[in-house]
Amino acid sequence: MSLSHEREDDIIRKLKENFPSGIKETNVIRRARLEVTVASEKIKDVAIFLRDKLGFDHPNGVSAVDYNRENRFEIVYHISSIGIKEMRDLVLDLKESVPRNAPKVGSLVSVWSGVENYERESFEMFGITFDGHPRLEKLFLTDNWDGPPPLRKDIRFPTD
Amino acid sequence: MSAPPKPVPLTTVESTETSDSGAQTLTLSVGPQHSGSGHMRLIVEVDGDIIVNVAPDPGYVHRGIEKIIELRNIIKSIPVIERPSIIDASNLNHAWVRSIEEIQGVEVPRRGQYLRTLLNEMNRIMSHLYWLSIYGVFLGHTTMFMWPLGDRELFIDLAEKLTGARITYSYLVPGGVRRDLPPGFAEEAVKRTEYFEKRLKEYDRIFFNNPLFTSRAKGIGVLSKEKAIDLGCTGPTLRGSGVDADLRKDEPYAAYPELDFEVSTRPDGDSFSRAMVHMDEMRESCKIIRQIVKKIPAGPIRRKAPIVLPRGVAYGRVESARGECSFYLIGEGGDKPYRARYITGSYRNMAAIPAVLLGNRLADMPTAWWSIDYWPVEADR
Amino acid sequence: MPAQRPAQEEDPVATLAEGLSIWVGKLSDLVKKVVDTGPIRNVINWARMYSLWPVNITTACCSAEFGAASGARHDLERFGVLPIGSLRQSDLIVIEGTITKKMAKRLRMIYDQMALPRYVIAMGDCAMSGGLFHDSYSIVNGAHEFVPVDVYVPGCPPRPEALEQAIIMLQEKIRRSKVYEQG
Repeated sequence: MSLSHEREDDIIRKLKENFPSGIKETNVIRRARLEVTVASEKIKDVAIFLRDKLGFDHPNGVSAVDYNRENRFEIVYHISSIGIKEMRDLVLDLKESVPRNAPKVGSLVSVWSGVENYERESFEMFGITFDGHPRLEKLFLTDNWDGPPPLRKDIRFPTD
Repeated sequence: MSAPPKPVPLTTVESTETSDSGAQTLTLSVGPQHSGSGHMRLIVEVDGDIIVNVAPDPGYVHRGIEKIIELRNIIKSIPVIERPSIIDASNLNHAWVRSIEEIQGVEVPRRGQYLRTLLNEMNRIMSHLYWLSIYGVFLGHTTMFMWPLGDRELFIDLAEKLTGARITYSYLVPGGVRRDLPPGFAEEAVKRTEYFEKRLKEYDRIFFNNPLFTSRAKGIGVLSKEKAIDLGCTGPTLRGSGVDADLRKDEPYAAYPELDFEVSTRPDGDSFSRAMVHMDEMRESCKIIRQIVKKIPAGPIRRKAPIVLPRGVAYGRVESARGECSFYLIGEGGDKPYRARYITGSYRNMAAIPAVLLGNRLADMPTAWWSIDYWPVEADR
Repeated sequence: MPAQRPAQEEDPVATLAEGLSIWVGKLSDLVKKVVDTGPIRNVINWARMYSLWPVNITTACCSAEFGAASGARHDLERFGVLPIGSLRQSDLIVIEGTITKKMAKRLRMIYDQMALPRYVIAMGDCAMSGGLFHDSYSIVNGAHEFVPVDVYVPGCPPRPEALEQAIIMLQEKIRRSKVYEQG
C-alpha cells in the first residue's frame, strides 16, 4: 500500500477551486484521513458538491466536540465513498465551528439522510440546534431529563 | 411514498390520523420489553395491517459511555467500551486500541496481529450464532434457539482457553495482546471449526431450505442499494443489498492482508438475503481461523506502549459482526482522551429500521427487524 | 336551625352482609392457617419453586449469559425455569444488567403487573450497585432502589453456573418461606 496522498491532495485542490472562500482549513492527517474545515454558511453547498461531483455518498457518522477553552463547538461529519471502490478506505472529516453561546447550524439531512440520528444525538448531548432537521428531540436520554446537555465539558455529575 | 412521513407523536395511543383511504390508523407502542432482543421501543402506526410509519425510540440502555471514557484512563476504559456488544467484545476492543495506536504511533508485532484476528473471527461467529438464536425466539422456532446456542459454546470454550474469559475478554491492549496461544490450541481450533462447518450444512437444510423460514423472510423488509448507502448502513445489512463493502478488504488491518477469504453479498436486499450473508460469513470465518492457526508467525505478542494518549486525532475503525465500529479519538496528552466519539454498527443501522419496516405487515415486523441485527445495547452505548 | 336527620332504620340486609363478611374473613384466616402448616405448605412451596417462570427482560449485557444459560449446554429448564414471554404468567423477574433511569420506570411497571407471589433476582454487578457504570449520569445504582430483591448474583457478567446457583438459592428461600408471605 503506498503511503503517498495524491488522492487526498487532489480532493483538496478541487474543493479549493470550487469554493475559494468557503474552505477555511485543510489537513491530511495521514493517508486516507482528511480534514476539511468549512464556514458554516457554505457547508451545505460543499456537502452537495462532495456527494454529486466527488462521489461521497455514504455518511459514517457525525461527532460534536466541545472546545470549551476556545469557546466553540465543532461539528464533524465523517463521510466516505462506497460507489467508487478505490476510495472506500478514505474518510473525509467535514468540520464546522459554531460559537458556544449560540450553537445553531444548518442540518445536512437533505444531503445524506443517514445523518438524522447523529444530529439529533448532538442536539441532546451538547445543545446544538440544527435548522431544518425533521425531528429535533431527545433520542437516548430519559423522557423527563431536565438537566443540562451531559457531554459538555463543564458539566460534571456527582458520583454516588 | 410521495410525501415524507410525518413524525409520530410519542405519547398518544389512539390516533386521529387519517390515511389516504379515509380509514383511521392506529398507533402502537411495541416494546420496550421484547421476547429476546433488548430494550427498545418502536412506535408503529398501522393502517389495518400495513405499517405506514415507524419511529424508533431507543435509549432504554443508554449508559453514557462517551462521558465515562472522558473520565477514565485509556486502559481502564477497555472493559467499558467492550460492554455495548458483549457478544462481539473483541471487535469493539480492536477499534479502540487501533485508534490509540494510531495516535501513539505504536506498531503491533505480527504475531500479535494474528492473535487479534483470531479472536475477532471467533467473536464474529459467536455473535452471528447469538443473532440466529434470538431470531429463533422471534420467529417462535425453538430449535433455532437451542442449536446455535449449543454450537456457540464450542467457540466460547476456545476463547476461554485463549483468554481466560467466556465473553468479555479485554484481551487487546495498545501494543498487542495479553496472552499467547496455549499449547494444543491449533488442533482444537481445527477440529472444532471442521465440526462446525458440518453443522452449518445441517442448519441450511433444516432452517433455511425450509418453507417455514423462506415464506416468512423472502421479499420481506426490502432495503434497496441506494437507500442503504445513503442511510449509512454497514455490515451484513449493507452486504445483503448487493454492496460488497467490507473493511477487511477495503481498508485491510491486522492480519487480513495476508489471509484468503471472500466477502459475501446478496443482491435482493430482503430479510432472507441478510440471513444468508450472516451464514456465509460464519463459513468464511471458519476458514480464516484455520489459516491463522496454521500460518501464525513466531515472535513477540506485545510491544510496550505508554499509558499516555499524546496530542492527535485518529479515526480508527474495524469491521465488527454488525458492521463498522469506529472511534473518533482526540488526545491532548495525559492518560484520558479529550473526546472519544463511539459509533457502532447497530447505531448506524438504526437509520434503516423505518426503511425496512414500512409497507410490510405488522406480523412480519419481527422477521424484518431482527434481520438487520439491530442490537439495542450496542446502539445506545 | 340545622335539620335533624331522622334516625337510621335498621337495614337487615346491611347487617347481614356485615356479619357475613366478618365470618368469611375469619374463615379465610382459618384456611390460611391450615394451608400454612406442614404437608400442604410443603406441597405448595414445592410447586412454586420448581416452576419459576421468568419474564424475558434482556436488560443489558448480562442477557447474553442469561441466553447462554437457557441454551443447550447450561439448560435452565431442568430447574423448571422457562422464559415464556408473557409477564402475566411469570413469577420471577431476572434483572439482567444495567438499569437506566428510562428503563427503571418500566421495570417497576412490569414488576407491579406480575401476579403474587413474585421474586426478583438482581443479576450482575450493575443490577447490584451500578457496577462498571456507577458514575454514569443515566443509570440507577442497583435494582434495590425500586424493587425488593431476593437474590443478588455478582459477576460481570456472572457465569451461567452462578445464575444456576442463584436459582437454587431462590428455591431454598421459597422452600423455607410461608405460603402467604407476599399476600
